[in-house]
Amino acid sequence: MPGAIPVTVVGGYLGAGKTTLINHLLNGGHGRRLAVLVNDFGEINIDARLIARHDGATIALSNGCVCCSIAGDLGAALKQVAAGRPAPDHIVVEASGVADPARTANYARGWPEFRPQGIVVLADAETVRERAGDKFVGGTVRRQIAAAELIVLNKTDLADAGQLSATAEWLAALSPAASIVPALHGQLDWAQLLGPQRDAADPAPQDDSDGDHLALHATLSWTGDVPLDRRRFADLLTELGPTLLRCKGWLRLLDMPTQSTAVQAAGQRLDLSSGPTAGGGPANCLVFVLRRDGIAPEDLRRRLDGLAD
Amino acid sequence: MTEITVYTARRIHTMNPSLPQATAVAVRDGMILEVGTLETLQPWLDAHPHRIDDRFAGKILLPGFIDPHLHPTLAAILLPCHFITAMEWKLPDRTAAPVRGHNAYLDRLKEIEEALTDPAEPLVTWGYHKIWHGTVTREILNGISRDRPVVAWQRSFHEIVANDAAIDWMGLDRDELARHPQIDPDSGRFYETGLSVAFAGMQDYLLSPERFRHGLQLTKQAVHFGGHTTIGDMAVPLMDLEREWPALLDVIEREDTPFRVQMVPRGVSRGGGLGREAENLAEVQALAGRSSHRLQFHKGVKLFTDGGFYAELMQLLPPGFIDGHEGEWLMPPEVFEGLARTYWNAGYRIHVHCTGDLGVELALDVLEKLQFERPRFNHRFTIEHFGVSTPEQVRRVADLGALVSANIYYVHELGEAYWQHSIGHERASQMARLGSLARHDVTFALHSDFTMAPALPLNSAWVAVNRTGESGAVLGPEERIDVERAMRAITIDAAYILGMEHEIGSIRGGKKADFTVLEADPFETPVEALKDIPIWGTVFEGRPAPL
Repeated sequence: MPGAIPVTVVGGYLGAGKTTLINHLLNGGHGRRLAVLVNDFGEINIDARLIARHDGATIALSNGCVCCSIAGDLGAALKQVAAGRPAPDHIVVEASGVADPARTANYARGWPEFRPQGIVVLADAETVRERAGDKFVGGTVRRQIAAAELIVLNKTDLADAGQLSATAEWLAALSPAASIVPALHGQLDWAQLLGPQRDAADPAPQDDSDGDHLALHATLSWTGDVPLDRRRFADLLTELGPTLLRCKGWLRLLDMPTQSTAVQAAGQRLDLSSGPTAGGGPANCLVFVLRRDGIAPEDLRRRLDGLAD
Repeated sequence: MTEITVYTARRIHTMNPSLPQATAVAVRDGMILEVGTLETLQPWLDAHPHRIDDRFAGKILLPGFIDPHLHPTLAAILLPCHFITAMEWKLPDRTAAPVRGHNAYLDRLKEIEEALTDPAEPLVTWGYHKIWHGTVTREILNGISRDRPVVAWQRSFHEIVANDAAIDWMGLDRDELARHPQIDPDSGRFYETGLSVAFAGMQDYLLSPERFRHGLQLTKQAVHFGGHTTIGDMAVPLMDLEREWPALLDVIEREDTPFRVQMVPRGVSRGGGLGREAENLAEVQALAGRSSHRLQFHKGVKLFTDGGFYAELMQLLPPGFIDGHEGEWLMPPEVFEGLARTYWNAGYRIHVHCTGDLGVELALDVLEKLQFERPRFNHRFTIEHFGVSTPEQVRRVADLGALVSANIYYVHELGEAYWQHSIGHERASQMARLGSLARHDVTFALHSDFTMAPALPLNSAWVAVNRTGESGAVLGPEERIDVERAMRAITIDAAYILGMEHEIGSIRGGKKADFTVLEADPFETPVEALKDIPIWGTVFEGRPAPL
């Protein structure tokens, strides 16, 4: 599909921070001509000096971005922005607060102009677990998280380290294939947000069904505040070998001390992706899923604490 | 002064309990002067010029039927299609006999194809459903025609099947279709989000102004055909008011239209969210200025909780669906609450689309909160559709002073299908629990949500009284209601739901002279035959309008 425009879907329940993130995108210095499709202009807060043109359903910005209202017809809105000249480099679609973002992402398929790039779901660190138990929206919130390829754990300043690691662990169980990154006020590294989220050649590991693995496997969540050495961390994971089923979360690395690095390890593969500027909460927050015949969680905790020395 | 017309009838059921039956009604300038007998009307007749019109002498008069929830604009898109349906659909220009079974479906499709004279005319049929018609695929439709585009549009609207000529006609690239997770180019199936790809390819045809106007003409006939004199358009606009309004004015706001429409606006422009309640209210208020004689805006508004009933997207309380899938919310509960509060405080009548019991629960939780914050009497908060509910919710509906406008047809068409394939017998047999509403003395109306059910009030009344499923079995006998209650639900109680009971819904002096004229008395007809009572036509604002 040469020339197809990548489409990133940003989902998450009402109040998770989608609009704030989109405001950053529109005002931000990512240097791309973004077309951002939103449900509601009302909350979008664009620096008035940036607005070049505003006609009905479209706001054109002097930085080359456009913001377009979906107005109930995503298919038509996608077609409209794709037909703009010059065409946008990238399209970001804000899924509605009750939408299943996987379903929204499906709109980007089937037309030659578009290429699905990723499903990013924001989760409010303070309230997401409570919402997931709500009698009305619990199912909706859990489905959104399960659909995510990248989970942005937002508003990390509103939760303490214990809450954050427990929430990260809970998210990891609900959405085994997704990466998790922390964020404050929806601030995220552009490359990470807009980059391809899931490598199609390396599909998510299917070693367990949702939730069951907590009984079948051991889990460990670990937090820390001291930046780690990249190689020593990678060596530890290699040493765990096949008894490590999965590890995800974020770290601060000695060679990039001002940024968080997202960690995503499955089987023998470790991904350390260039992270967002450091969010709130602990510097390091990792969730491990381990085979029961391997290292004991408490031993692993000691090894990790040792890395920080 | 205009002459008085006195209509005599074999019997007039006034639906006014103070004078339930009469034989003559005096009408002038579209208004009822008095109902009773020729003797009791005498003081009017002595005082003013009049004539006796006895064309209804052998017939039965009722107040003009009212369907408080119907979608004329959606019907306008659908009625020009060829109906091949599992249930019978009586329409003014045709009766679609029930077609069940795979071969019967294909035979009917072939028959329609062969009757078309223009070889280029696309054949778009509506009503296909796998439960009744088996699996229909691209190849099978190619067997109907290789050259003509053939599209089978599923009964719930969420899926189509297209033949090769139709895929070409839509201008779609097969390689691209193959990449879409909700399009299967082999079987020619487009569903959910894949449907929007097909719809984009067909919309120039389906939404062309000529076709839309023609569809509205058919809708106008269908509304008259059912015996209605008032309907509620319960979500204005369908898509784009500025496109729909001129066509509505042109087709409906005419002397020959024998009914009026209460236009109930959507309470939220698409996409409008939290914090924009005042803006939405202002938009709804501004629509009032468009009111005309037959297209009227009152102080009512439509909001939504959960997803569609035919698409099985209603939100259910535990234990949910048998297959474990989940329903959807049409707006976040917080947004619903914020909008409901705004319209509540502005004194609006709020109509809430609720299909599943969790949707009903949300609407009632919010209503309870609003009643606590700012109590209102006579608020007419209405649960619309009322597919799945619990008995305890009925009691809360009564406690909170809410009303119900029910799509009772769910029981007939979906009762057995949902019993077997969706939610099991207990809940499926108790869908649209009108008997419980009657026992708690909750005011309720029957509606068609046309085209979710036929726009035939006597048919709705027939389902409400008999609760007959498609096989003929009775579903939930305890939830049946009597004929009196059913007739109220399509006349005076439906008027109440629309806040129009002071001017329509019963036959008494001072009200609009709207009548539905029947060839047999529904109170003397065996209940199994209610739906088959022939309708002579209507009288709208004093003017006879035969079918």
